[in-house]
Amino acid sequence: MKSAGLIGMSALLLTASLAGCGASSSSAPPTKNIKDITIGTLYAKSGAFATSSMPEYSGLKFWASQVNKTGGTYVKALHKKVPVKIVAYNDQSSATTATSLYSQLITVNHVNILVADFGSVLTSVAVPVAQEKKMLLFDQTGTGASFFTPSNPYVVLTSLPTSGLWPTSLAQYLIHKGYSRIAIVYATNDFDQSQDQTLVRKLKAAHITPVYNNGVPTSTSSYSVLLNNMAHTKPQAVIELGYPNNDIAFMQALKASGDHFNMVFTIFPGQLPQLFTKTLGASSINNTYTYPAPPLLSFSHVNYGLNTTQFESAYKKATGQSTNFLSIAGYNTGLIIQKTLSTANSLNQLSLRHAVSRFSGSLSTLDGSFKINSEGAQIGETLPVAKISTNSKGQLSIKFVTSPNS
Amino acid sequence: MFNPQWDTNTPNRLRRRLVNGVIPVLLLAGFSVSPLVYANQAILFQMMAFMALAQGVNLLYGFTGYLPFGYVGFFGIGAYGMAISIQLLHFPGILAVIIGGLLSSVIAMAFLPLLRLSGAYFAISSLAAAEVLSHIVSNSAFIHITNGPYGEQLTQSYHPLTSYVVMVIVLVLTTVVVIFIRNRPFGRALMAIREDPVSAAMAGISVVRARSVVWLLSALIAGLTGALFGWHMSVFYPSTVFDLNISILAIVFTLFGGYGTVTGPVLGSIVLYGLYNAIGISDPQYFQLIYGLLIIALVLFLPGGIISLIQRRGNYVP
Amino acid sequence: MFAYSLISGILFGIFFGFMALGLNLIFGVMEMVNLAHGDFVVLGGYVGITALNSWHINPLVSLIFALLLFFVVGLGLFFPLVPRLSHSRDPEMLSLILFFGLSQVLEALMEIKFGVNPESLPLSVFGNSSWHFLGQSYQISWVVSALISLLMILLTYVFLYYTPMGRAVRAVMGNREEARATGLPVKRTSAIIFAIGIALAAMSGVLSPLMIGSIDPTSGLGLTTIAFAIVVIGSLGNPLGSVLGGLVYGISLMLMQTYLSSWSVLVPYLLLLIIVLVRPSGLLGKGVRHV
Repeated sequence: MKSAGLIGMSALLLTASLAGCGASSSSAPPTKNIKDITIGTLYAKSGAFATSSMPEYSGLKFWASQVNKTGGTYVKALHKKVPVKIVAYNDQSSATTATSLYSQLITVNHVNILVADFGSVLTSVAVPVAQEKKMLLFDQTGTGASFFTPSNPYVVLTSLPTSGLWPTSLAQYLIHKGYSRIAIVYATNDFDQSQDQTLVRKLKAAHITPVYNNGVPTSTSSYSVLLNNMAHTKPQAVIELGYPNNDIAFMQALKASGDHFNMVFTIFPGQLPQLFTKTLGASSINNTYTYPAPPLLSFSHVNYGLNTTQFESAYKKATGQSTNFLSIAGYNTGLIIQKTLSTANSLNQLSLRHAVSRFSGSLSTLDGSFKINSEGAQIGETLPVAKISTNSKGQLSIKFVTSPNS
Repeated sequence: MFNPQWDTNTPNRLRRRLVNGVIPVLLLAGFSVSPLVYANQAILFQMMAFMALAQGVNLLYGFTGYLPFGYVGFFGIGAYGMAISIQLLHFPGILAVIIGGLLSSVIAMAFLPLLRLSGAYFAISSLAAAEVLSHIVSNSAFIHITNGPYGEQLTQSYHPLTSYVVMVIVLVLTTVVVIFIRNRPFGRALMAIREDPVSAAMAGISVVRARSVVWLLSALIAGLTGALFGWHMSVFYPSTVFDLNISILAIVFTLFGGYGTVTGPVLGSIVLYGLYNAIGISDPQYFQLIYGLLIIALVLFLPGGIISLIQRRGNYVP
Repeated sequence: MFAYSLISGILFGIFFGFMALGLNLIFGVMEMVNLAHGDFVVLGGYVGITALNSWHINPLVSLIFALLLFFVVGLGLFFPLVPRLSHSRDPEMLSLILFFGLSQVLEALMEIKFGVNPESLPLSVFGNSSWHFLGQSYQISWVVSALISLLMILLTYVFLYYTPMGRAVRAVMGNREEARATGLPVKRTSAIIFAIGIALAAMSGVLSPLMIGSIDPTSGLGLTTIAFAIVVIGSLGNPLGSVLGGLVYGISLMLMQTYLSSWSVLVPYLLLLIIVLVRPSGLLGKGVRHV
């Protein structure tokens, strides 16, 4: 009966592959004899989010190496310093893969601390899993407003406010300048559309109706015709809300069109300036308005961790890479974890969450002030608006047009 | 790919029936027991989901020759049908899953004309159809129904254990359906159509009806799987459930195992998905490279999948 | 607004017609869909970008370089892959799967070599002037790209209709078995067309960053689908069909961006579905294709 043998073989394979996956399966270690604090996270080495995810992961790793150099991080629950160990898997930008990997970190690796991957899409799948397994999720940059609900105490946003809050200062500035003709083009995804909604609502409250407000698919790569259509409405300010690829395509089309507007605003030149200068040349973002994020937005006075300048040089030395907003966000996540561990009385996840609430509002890092609301959403950091200037050598500088501390 | 000599010898037939019957029992037992041994239910769940999808692809490609690149369209519609049933109609989870599956079949009915196409035209047009569905679902015009680009949050109905159990049932039923079709005159009629539609039609087989039945059935399988998948994740964006890689993996698993058989997709999913989790997470660039090379090698040297290695010696494989 | 959208659509469409040309030739002659087509376009784009950034070579020069380089690459891929496929049970389906595998391999290799960030060419690479027409100005890089595309399409047309080799190609397109029976070198013809198809894809790729903003290793599959839609809209084997398909696509896309922007991404898919269901032989086709 060779066929039965085949079935036997497949059964064996099933068992074997499961055993392979579960080799490290064991029950949670008792708190008393913890040798290191394990931090579980995911990164995307390929796919749509790799550009942002990798520097963020690199920032977190940098934090871990800094902490371990000094013998580890102080854990109040254990009354001693304990080294940290990062357990990380590659989700390849796939939310499906991320689901099983978050589950792997919790159920098989039994990590002490769970950290989400970059952005809303890859964070979203972790939220229900973390809640069900009663693990506190340190959400780095997943700014979807729906993650934060009163019934879920198991999530904390460490960097950035939820995306719906981003345009607050932008709307203020537009109203303050008295611009009445405003043209907006946004990519129809969660991140950009929620910003468009907030912006339009705030403008309407000031009796300004945008002369152009249209959504385009996130995959849009050609903005020339859209720009021409916007130019026909004679706008004073042109706002493009997109992902980095959209912003690049938009800036490229703008440069080629020769159109000139009083104000042009896009999101990512402030977060990923190197990407723009490398792809399009430094002059392409000259005079563009943006949300300046660290390191463009420099914090010299911090009460926890390195400040912006120190980080830039230490990070460069350790990794050979230059700093961008996401590497700072990753490092900042590490700082929040460090502070949490040194504040919490036990390693119980809810006690970690309470610890975060206790120091919320009193922490200033290179990412700004850390303050969360009762649902775990970030409200301390603000996104001011600034204008980028580039000189002939390609160096960037920014000038705030709204207060960075508003 | 399949054994053309149908044995009429009674003991042999009995033995075959037994062997066929063992497969769903093994799956049922395997996936019921494994959560006790292995803690990461999400991986087990996804393995089942891909196995069911691979059987759906198998049904369509293995029995009719239509390769559905856009198979994920049905998967996504299933997930959204489920989510809408829960959010707007406040149905309980299991009923919502069934609605998701049925909705997928209804959509498949609208796309029946695609079956007029053949070969590459069908494959790529089905991809286009899936893209159209995905963009309709995510467009703001339907934000009140689908929540548009903001995706679905079903945290209030999140129930990983129930969705796991239902997934086991759907997988077993799917496998039974494939076994049933393969060993009935209907399956043989399908094979005949696949080989030569003109002669099959002349022999009195209703080509259009047979193909349509398989099309709707495979859409139902994908819809149910997608609905369960969405329920199991409970938070998803349009891009998550309409991810083209889902079609691709299901197709690769089917081809790797061997299409037109029952065991092929099962083996393909276990081996490749297992492999994916065992080594894929460490370095995906090389993994995508290995996947691509594997596909090329399969087509060139082993177009019948690993099952054909066993079949080659004249063995019967369910 | 309408005029600008229309003219942009035409410029865009001519380029896309050229982009789809290689797919059209290979599909027409070999009845194989090169699913890695888009990846060869992206590879061509990287050739242009790397040449400019590393050696300051103008994309106009890279065009020729890409054409020659990928002609050789095409020949190198043809012999190990295609003859073996042709002898298999179901060449059309198996080739689809095989080229899909190739597409995955190319994507992975590009990711390893060039990273995941989008890359682009400066739009001022052909100068900063613009083209004024009917009171509007259009960027010079689009105009140059469209002119090059048009030239290449015309050259292909001349090749197919006015050279002995081209006649052989059309004979094979018409009926493979008949061509073989009359003693035409079918395999050699196929090899050359395969290489030309890939070379043209890479050549159009050099211009692609100028037209589609930027490229990254994952851009390929989307381009393949667009190219396939264009080939089906026009008709198989006819370079002029590619132009027509490209124009339909380009103009529809731009008008959609103007009047229904959030739906514009659906353009290639809807056009494809409409054409295959309503007029499967394409706009210029004579219904000879076995669909």
